[in-house]
Amino acid sequence: MKTYLARRLLALVPVALVVATVGFTLIHLAPGDPASLIAGPDATHDDIRVLQHQLGLDAPLHVQLLHWYGRLLRGDLGESIFLRKPVLDAILDRVEPTLLLTLFAMAIAILIGVPTGVVSARYHNAPADQALMSLALVGISVPNFLLGLLLILGFAVGLGWFPVAGYSPLEYGWARTLRSLVLPAFALGFVQSALIARITRSSMLDVLREQFIVAGRAKGLGERAVVYKHALKNALIPTMTVVGVSFAILIGGAVVIEQVFNIPGLGRLIISAVLRRDYPVIQGVVLCIAGVYMLINLAVDLAYMLVDPRVRYQ
Amino acid sequence: MKRLALVLVALAAVSAVPAAAQDQRPGGVFKAAMIGEPPSLDLHWTTATITQQITWHVYETLYTFDRNFNPMPLLAEGQTVADGGRRYTIRLRHGVKFHNGKEMTSADVVASLTRWGRISTSGKPLWKNVEAVEAKDPYTVMIHLKESSGVLLVGLARPNNGAVIYPREIAEAAGDNQTKDVIGTGPYRFVEHKPDRHIKLARFKDYAGRSEAPDGYAGKRTALLDEILFIPVPDVAVRIAGVETGEYHFAQQIKQDQYDRIKALPGVVPSIIKPSGWSTAVFNHKQGLMTDKRLRLAFQAALDMEPIMAAGFGNRDFYRLDPGLLYQEQTAWYTKAGGELYNQKNRAKAAALLKEAGYAGQPVRWVTTKEYEWMYKNALVAKQQLEEAGFKIDLQVVDWATLVQRRNKPELFDVFSTGFGFVSDPAFMTSAQCNWPGWWCHEEKDRLIDGLIKESDPKKRRAMFERIQVLFYEDAGRIKFGDSFTLDILRKEVRGFKTTPETFFWNVSLSK
Repeated sequence: MKTYLARRLLALVPVALVVATVGFTLIHLAPGDPASLIAGPDATHDDIRVLQHQLGLDAPLHVQLLHWYGRLLRGDLGESIFLRKPVLDAILDRVEPTLLLTLFAMAIAILIGVPTGVVSARYHNAPADQALMSLALVGISVPNFLLGLLLILGFAVGLGWFPVAGYSPLEYGWARTLRSLVLPAFALGFVQSALIARITRSSMLDVLREQFIVAGRAKGLGERAVVYKHALKNALIPTMTVVGVSFAILIGGAVVIEQVFNIPGLGRLIISAVLRRDYPVIQGVVLCIAGVYMLINLAVDLAYMLVDPRVRYQ
Repeated sequence: MKRLALVLVALAAVSAVPAAAQDQRPGGVFKAAMIGEPPSLDLHWTTATITQQITWHVYETLYTFDRNFNPMPLLAEGQTVADGGRRYTIRLRHGVKFHNGKEMTSADVVASLTRWGRISTSGKPLWKNVEAVEAKDPYTVMIHLKESSGVLLVGLARPNNGAVIYPREIAEAAGDNQTKDVIGTGPYRFVEHKPDRHIKLARFKDYAGRSEAPDGYAGKRTALLDEILFIPVPDVAVRIAGVETGEYHFAQQIKQDQYDRIKALPGVVPSIIKPSGWSTAVFNHKQGLMTDKRLRLAFQAALDMEPIMAAGFGNRDFYRLDPGLLYQEQTAWYTKAGGELYNQKNRAKAAALLKEAGYAGQPVRWVTTKEYEWMYKNALVAKQQLEEAGFKIDLQVVDWATLVQRRNKPELFDVFSTGFGFVSDPAFMTSAQCNWPGWWCHEEKDRLIDGLIKESDPKKRRAMFERIQVLFYEDAGRIKFGDSFTLDILRKEVRGFKTTPETFFWNVSLSK
């Protein structure tokens, strides 16, 4: 187990290196440069060139890349061009809203998705199943930004229950934070809940046809025990994989939702960094998100052991 | 009779309260939903409008504009001009404090102006004519010019990329780099910048305002609000919804096609900024197809501006077809000279010119962006009209960051889309500058621009400007599509807001 973990962690290094290099090259190959944006619309070419020199952007690409590698080795992600602070600080400033939003959305996705899937499987092909799965189809089809805008219209503008947009940091009290995150988390989580519901349902249906379920029923176990104790636990492995993937998708979805709901998280950070060509920030955030993806995958693999004692890692 | 007495008593009570106090009470936190984040908070450093919109509550210039765009003293007390217009002696106001508690003196002014003239896009051309800036005594600054100038005070009064006064230590420590601290003399002081969250300003208690009645940007500035929060809200639908529910008091750049909806919303007041700018297609005069004047003239002749502007700005209340390089509202400058070549809708003439130039259908590379939707829509309709006249247009839709980079590289484009903002004096028109992307350099025009900077006689200056406008059309320097107006929205509880080309929140208060 320990060697397995060490091997997996070690394998992160080359992946991170590839992500870093590809990310760096892609963003520098894209047209546009931060100096023109800082200088503003009326600036002349000479003004912009002076600025490029000050920012070190006139050096050849490979020199800039080597320079960046050097800093990375020292654990330094560089300094943001626009925010004028270290990239790591900029990222850490933004972790709180994104993390809370993603966790909240994940909770909503699981709390809606798993029971829906179970109920659907339990009442397979009955009206309840068909109704829930139609709803899930709608859920999968609606883009999250549209759902977000509809939620704003209904619950913020119409009913006034939640703020239209914005984020209240934890330091001002968790109740306000939670309130500011309800709509975005729902917009983000609902789509994933549909996916989780469908996977849970089909996996439950497979398990319910297994012989040990028939055996359970034959020995007189109640329907509840059969469904919730035996079938559900066995059906959870595919669901967990999807939850793991969903988590990664949610981080991606947060980029859009943060923009719609004006939440100053990692998503906003990377969007504004891309639009302004704030190279160090883009590189830093891409590297961090890639790291999180890899760790989530590892965590999901390890979590299989908890639900299924047959899974063992050497 | 009793009722009449009551009414009279009530009337007396009301009239006893001064009008301003009746309406405007100090206090409250004002939330302004902005379209994004400023690229820098150093106004000498950038020409980005959003930097000016936020920081000019914090920093102040020596001069500013009244409602007719005449320069009026702000931090200055007044000036005398001697030596045939070559020596300006500017007296500073006493007792003006910076937000760090220090009094502003001529040393700060000299350091700030020197830096501004050295590094800013708007200061550099003006400073070519400056021989020296010196502090004569703590409250007097002298500016020696090489030649007399008609625009020195106008240049010092411009808000965008303006000649704001920083404490000397800050200006000197920054040198050619960005300033580190945000300290000025304005009615609001800078509190914090949390990127993508807000920029917070708070009332500066020791603010030394002027005593004259407010007039344009000039006169008395009072910080009635406790705090101003500038919140970046990139999504326009969210900006509208936020003002609708009262979460924001102000939102800028609302889509013009939303105007009818906005008018129907209770609690929301529209504000139309008129004029705010003109939309344009900029030719590449340095390299490629458009260096041929006949092709530029064909381009100009083919266009029908009404559908182009209608596509870009939606509602008739938000655009105007007009040939003037400066606006109807600027009575001192407005002219239609050369206007017969504007909006010709003459495809036959265009086709004839193309033939004369031997144009064989080479694609004209037009770089535009959807980040500003009107630029894309202007270009899309124009492309169709031009192709009907015989052009072949290769419309390249890119993001704004790419556009502003490509437009500096003459080998990469023939035409690009942009807009020119409001300017108070033709000497500062980006639209006629030679060293700006597109490089419209023209001997007579450049000599006239130079003349505008030096000449101080208003009559002669106006004649020079008229000639520049004629050349703009005769040479097809750039293409003006039309004037455009911006839509901002406010909550109804906002008091004292003035709709001007540059938005400001001093003298603004909240009722309730």
